[in-house]
Formats: sequence, C-alpha cells, structure tokens
Amino acid sequence: MLALSMQKRLTFAALLVAVTTGGAASASPEDIFGYGTRSPAMGGTGVAHSEGFEAAYTNPALLGRIRDLKLTLGFEAATFNLHADGAGLPGEVPYDSMRGIIIGLDVPIPLGGVLKDRIGTALALSSPTNVIVRGNIPYPEAPQFPLLPDRSQTVSIRAGIGVNVGWGIRVGAGFAALAELDGSAVVQTDATGRVSSNVQDQLIATYAPTLGLTYDVPLEDHETTRIGVSYRGALAANFDVSIDATKLSSLNIPVLTIAGLAQYDPEQVSFEIARSQGAFLFALGATYKRWSAYPGLLQSTLPCPASDPTCGSLVPPSITYKDTFVPRVGVEYSTSAGKSLDLHVRAGALYEPSALPSKLASSMAFDMTSQATVSLPTRYFDADRLAITLGYGVALRDPLPPITLDLFGQAHALMPRTITSDDSVGKVSGTVFAAGLLAGVKF
Amino acid sequence: MRLRRPLPWLLALAALVASPRARANPLDPFGFGSRGTAMGGAAAADVQDFSANYYNPAGLALARRMEISVGYVNVDQNLQINGLSSGVDPVRAMVAGIVAPGKLVGIPFAFGFGLHLPDDRLSRVRALPQDEPRWELYDNRNQLLYLAANLAVSPWPWLQIGGGVSFVSSTDATLDISGQVNVYTPDSSQLRSAIDADLTAVRYPQAGVRVALTDDLALAVVYRGQFQLDLDLKANIRANISGLTTALYELETDSVNNFLPQQLVVGGSWRIVPELRANLDLTWVNWSAYVPPVADVQVTLNIPPPPAGWPPGITPPSTPAPTIIAPINMRDTIVPHLGMEWRALNERKVQGFVRLGYEFDKSPLPPQTGTTNYVDADRHAFSLGLGVRAVELLPELPRDLRLDGHVQLSELPTTTTVKSNPADLVGNYTAGGTLWNVGVTLAMGF
Repeated sequence: MLALSMQKRLTFAALLVAVTTGGAASASPEDIFGYGTRSPAMGGTGVAHSEGFEAAYTNPALLGRIRDLKLTLGFEAATFNLHADGAGLPGEVPYDSMRGIIIGLDVPIPLGGVLKDRIGTALALSSPTNVIVRGNIPYPEAPQFPLLPDRSQTVSIRAGIGVNVGWGIRVGAGFAALAELDGSAVVQTDATGRVSSNVQDQLIATYAPTLGLTYDVPLEDHETTRIGVSYRGALAANFDVSIDATKLSSLNIPVLTIAGLAQYDPEQVSFEIARSQGAFLFALGATYKRWSAYPGLLQSTLPCPASDPTCGSLVPPSITYKDTFVPRVGVEYSTSAGKSLDLHVRAGALYEPSALPSKLASSMAFDMTSQATVSLPTRYFDADRLAITLGYGVALRDPLPPITLDLFGQAHALMPRTITSDDSVGKVSGTVFAAGLLAGVKF
Repeated sequence: MRLRRPLPWLLALAALVASPRARANPLDPFGFGSRGTAMGGAAAADVQDFSANYYNPAGLALARRMEISVGYVNVDQNLQINGLSSGVDPVRAMVAGIVAPGKLVGIPFAFGFGLHLPDDRLSRVRALPQDEPRWELYDNRNQLLYLAANLAVSPWPWLQIGGGVSFVSSTDATLDISGQVNVYTPDSSQLRSAIDADLTAVRYPQAGVRVALTDDLALAVVYRGQFQLDLDLKANIRANISGLTTALYELETDSVNNFLPQQLVVGGSWRIVPELRANLDLTWVNWSAYVPPVADVQVTLNIPPPPAGWPPGITPPSTPAPTIIAPINMRDTIVPHLGMEWRALNERKVQGFVRLGYEFDKSPLPPQTGTTNYVDADRHAFSLGLGVRAVELLPELPRDLRLDGHVQLSELPTTTTVKSNPADLVGNYTAGGTLWNVGVTLAMGF
C-alpha cells in the first residue's frame, strides 16, 4: 500500500516535472497576472469556475452563468525587480512599474421561453494608466527582459458571450482587441528651401478570438465538478514606421523601415477541472502556450528586396522560442458572516516556464571604428517564474447595497538561471509583485 | 440629496472626474445612431438609448430596461476642388452600444457604453505641408474611433445628471538607427534600429444635465471637452557613409491632429401632441482654439566632409531651415440642429415613426487668401428617417425591438478662394460638394 502510494507520488512528481520544464514566458497583463481579482488570487485558474466578466478571458462559456447586471471598477499594479548579473551586465535591469485600471460589465440577456436564463455577455477593459501600448525594443545587446515588464504595458479590451445549451454544457466565444501602429514620414525641402514633411500614422485594430467549453459532470454526491477548456488565439500588435528622407538631398540613402512586435500573446489552450465541496472550491489546470510561433521582437531595418534576398542587410538575432505548459492550482473558501455578508478567502499558485532558450544567437551590428560588421551578444533574459497568490473578497446582500469588494496579491519569484550568448554569461534572478482591488455593484 | 444614499452620487462623481468622456469627430457631422442622425442631431433633451453616450449622457438615466444596439453607417464624401474629386475617404463604421439601467438604494442609475468603430482604422494622424490643399474638417478628422463610457443618475424624476469619458491614443516614438549607409547601392546599406514607442491614452470628459419642466417639455445642457492627437516622432541616425565619413542625422517631427474643440450644447425637446415631437439644439464650438495640423519638423545634420572631399555626383545635404507654421485663425461657431419625430403608426405591438432633421454648420475657417490651403465650406444637412418598434412578439425575442434607418444629405455650396498673391504656387480655386450619410440601427430592449 505504501509502495503504491509512493509510486503514485513519483508518477505525479514526474508529471509535474514534465509539464513544468517545457520552457516559459509571460505575456500581456492578463497573461502574466490573470484577469480581474478572483482568478489572479487563485493562481490564474478560472477556466472551469470564473464568475462575471473575468470569464471573457478565462473561458467565455462561463458567461452563460451571469444572472445579474453588474459594473466593476478597480485598480491593479505591479513592480518588477529583475536582475541580470555577470561581466558587462548591470545587475538590476530597471523597469517602470505597471499601474492600470480595470472596468468590467456583466450583462445577462434576459430572454424568455426556452432561452430563459441561458445567455450572458460581458465587456472588460484593463488599461495602464498612462499608455495604450508600449513598444520598447532596444538593441539586442542592451540587457532586457523582453517577455516580462513592458509586455504588461498594454490595453486589453475583451468581450464575450456564453450560452448554457443544457445537459451541463456551456459554450462561449469572444475576442480580445489591441491596437497596432502603421506610419510613415516623408521629409523633403519645399520650393523655399524650408524643410517640410508629410507624416501619417494609423492605429489599426487587431483581434484574437477566444473560445470556451464547460461541462458540469453529473455526480451523485450533490457537489459540483466542472471541466473547462478554452482557446485563445495569438494576439499581436505590430509597430511599422517608414522614414523616407531620400528627397532631402542628393545623398542616395535608402528608405528606412522600423518595424517590430510591440506586444504579443501566444496562441494558447487551457484545461481545468474545478470541484466545489462544502465551503471549498478547488481548481487544478494547465495552459499550453505556443511560443514557438513567436516571430521575435524586431524586423530588419532594410528588408532585402525580393530580387536579392541575401543582400547583406543586418538581420535581428534569430531565436527559437519554446512552447510552454503552465500548471495552476487554486482554492477558495467561502463563508457567511450574517445574513447579508459573504466572505471569500482565496489562494493559489502557478509555475510559468520561460519560453526563452538558455543559449541565444548573437546579433549583428556595424562597428564604426573598424567599419565592419561585428557580432554582439544578445542580452535577452527571462526565467521560470513561481507565483504564490492570495486574495480576499466581500459580498454584501440585501438589505445592504449589492456591492462586492475583492483584492488579490501575487508574489512571483524568478528561478535562478544562466543565459549565454557569445561569450556573455548572464545569471538571472528577480521578483515581481502584483496587487489589485476591484469594487463591483449589481443594479 | 440625502447622505444615506451617497453611492450613486459617488459613482457619478467618479465618472465625471476620473473618466474620459465620449464623443469623437465623425459623430459631430454625421451623428450617432439612426434616430439622432435622422433628427438633425437635435437630441440633447430627448435621448435615452445608446446614443445618449454622445448626445447627452444624462439621458441614460431615463432608460427603464437594458438595451443593446448595433448598427452600421456609411458616409460617402463627394468633395471637389476645381471640379476634381479630392479623394476624401468615406466613413464606414459599425456603431454599437449598451444602456444598463438599474436602481441603487432606490435611485435610478444607468451605465452606458458607446462605440463607433471604423472599418479601416481606429485613428489616423496625418500632417501635410500647410500649403497643400485639403478638406481640413472632412479629410482625416472623421477617421477616428469613438469609444465612451458614461454613468447617469436621476435623483428626482425631473432631473437627470450624467457624465463620463472617452479615450483615443496619441503616438510618442523615438527611433534609433545606426550602421552604414551605402550611397552607391542603398539596398546594400547595413542598418539596424531600436524602438521606444508609446501609444499614450488621451482622455476627454463629457457631462450633461436634463431637466423636465413638464411632462411635455425638457431642457438639457451638455459639455464636451477638448482633445487632440499628438504624433511626436524622433529619429536619430548615426551612420557611416560608404566609408567616407560619419553622419549624424536627427529628425524630430511634432504634429497635432484630429483636434476636437470643446463644445457646449443647449437643447430642448417639446412634445407638441402625443404623436409629434420637436427638438432644437444649439451647439457652441470653440474652433478658435484649433491647432494647425502641420508638423513642426526639426532636422539636424552633421556630416563632416571626407578627407579627400566628396566624390563626383554626391552633394552633401545642408541643414534645411525649419518650418514656419502659419496661424490658422479659426472662429467659434454656433451650430443649430432641428429635428421632428412623428409617430405615424401606433398599434398595440407595433409602432412606426417618421423623422426629419436639419443642421447648419457654418465654416469656422477664414478665407484662405495666404499661403495656407485649409479647404472648407458651409454645410447644410437635411435628414430623413424611418423607424419601427415591435413589442413582445415572441418570448424568445427581446421584449422591445427597434429598427431605425436614416438618410442624410449634406450640401457644401461651391465657394471660390482668391489668393492675395497672384504668384501663389497653388493659385485660386473653387471647392464644394455633397456628403451622403446612410445607416441603420437595431436596438434590442430586454
């Protein structure tokens, strides 16, 4: 018996190792911290148990459970303390903290007949307080954590609809929206010899779909066990600006293209099982993230013409990112403190492997001194992250105003790691702290 | 107001103070939703559907049931200069919104969300040379997303107060380029770049009040804040010029676009008889604050001559003189909006409506007799709309279904611009045209 138990534990440990060593990375705010407050407090779980607008991200099928019109407003923040140590490296790599607002709207669709209490929708917006999208892409030799801090500096607009089709099955669909930038600047001199320009930029919407399915398992113990699966398409925000100064003089200079990927969330599939047992809700799940499709941060400044694909233009470093599996676990304890007050205590954990490989290709540059192309180390850093999450929620009921108040806190630890490129060796470590507070009102 | 009911007031105050409000350029000339457009945009005192997010957020508090609306609008801009089409892009967009009313501690309260989502882009910032003729108020300013969220309360049945915010985005980018420029074969240049770009949020407020003087007469006041989109672009280029010398080239271009002046609307709505309603809005537009949409370009060139001099055929550029931006000198205007709605059909489950509207936009631009060529003309807009409302047809359908359509014809009479300088490079020109605005809106009340 003991041997069997040990065998099970070893099998479980092996599975855990298997799913946590895939590679790792992080994404936009919800991909790093989760969406709302309940899911982030429970280790980012929610594919099988989310409530309200959070389900627009975790699993839109659960929007079919919305029964009350509810508006939620809140604030979230995160700080990054990231280190890259080694010869020629700065130690701490400074990054701005992230501060953002969250707005969520739960909207039940109160139809009648066979459609009664079956359809719900939600709109959700999370946005940094000062930017819509940040695209900070330094030269590759500058020490940076390309998959973590700046990727949290982006707006996220989500909407979804969920339908309860019966027999314990719910389906849902939604989308996420982001803005990408396309621009040009043509600089020239006019007839009077003064400089003039024709400058244009456009913000173009880019969308990614979200699909979800849940199934309430029919068990005889009167408790609820639900299985959830969701799919999120890749969400990418490009930055593409061309500068044409060819008419500024007789100097024959090329048209410059400055293009890159300001934000990127990989395509991902999440699976989760949640079980409510008495006052407790337990959730266990995993997310597969297809980082191998990530095209990288920068594009060539001078793309080679089709007629000369090997024109010798400098190309950004080629990095093959790794797909990752993110295991998550969460628990919620709910109790009533009187007729009009419900309390919730939440906790969870997640382990986010890094999608960045340990050995990176070098990058190319033109050296002014030697007047030759040289290779420089690519100083991209990232590491697996272990996050511990906590949360607390209060919900008032009649005769008190129907208000909810939820908060969460997260502590992420970057697992020590060494990344090499050329002769550069960087030892990665660091912490990330995040917290959020949301207030909701039903009306 | 009693202190024991502070929550709705706090929420409304938070919306007024903290959130940006909604209303964007394409909505000024072309309206929001088919009902308001068909009534000439005269809706400040008579609106309670999703279009209240633009016309008057206070109207949201009049809603008694949740309503979701979706529609589409197409505006063809047939504008001409010297009889030739100016190629002004059409405005094609999905419109959508939601009104979610309820009660908080007994006080009617509502949340609203409005969206005008262009087919092709969320926004476009375009800074042309100031002497290049362009339809300043139609060419680019209508290519813009409108996204707004509002809150409203009705502390007494005769009073509604609402407000909120809208936001769009500006661009602030620094581009760094380094490497080698091959002036003999430019495609063989070896350059690379780094980006530090922020799309920054621009928020602007909106607030409105509606007062019902009687059951048949209401007045409203709406304030809409000012916003502008900035496009600040810096490019620093450090490059070796074909082994001849090392060049430093710094380009900085700052421009303001899509300037929306602040506005104040005073409106009234009078139900003359139960089947007939007349609305009048007067909108003061602070055009005199308009910022010229011309890029302020600063160029710094530092290219030391090669020791052996420049090869034949290559002339090094010199630093050009900076742009001198001429003032635009717009004038404030007052825009009248007139609208009428006749309930032509009033059955138990079906109602039908006919709507008419007119508005007059006097051009805020002075005659372009100098070097600038911001083309504009007065605009007379005539609109017609039909609507049908069906109530409780089937239990599986929304309780209240409304389908509204509109057609609006804007006529811009042809005017002639005469330059004060006979040697002006652009010369005299005539300009005018028509705008056709067609759209439908489906509203579902639950």
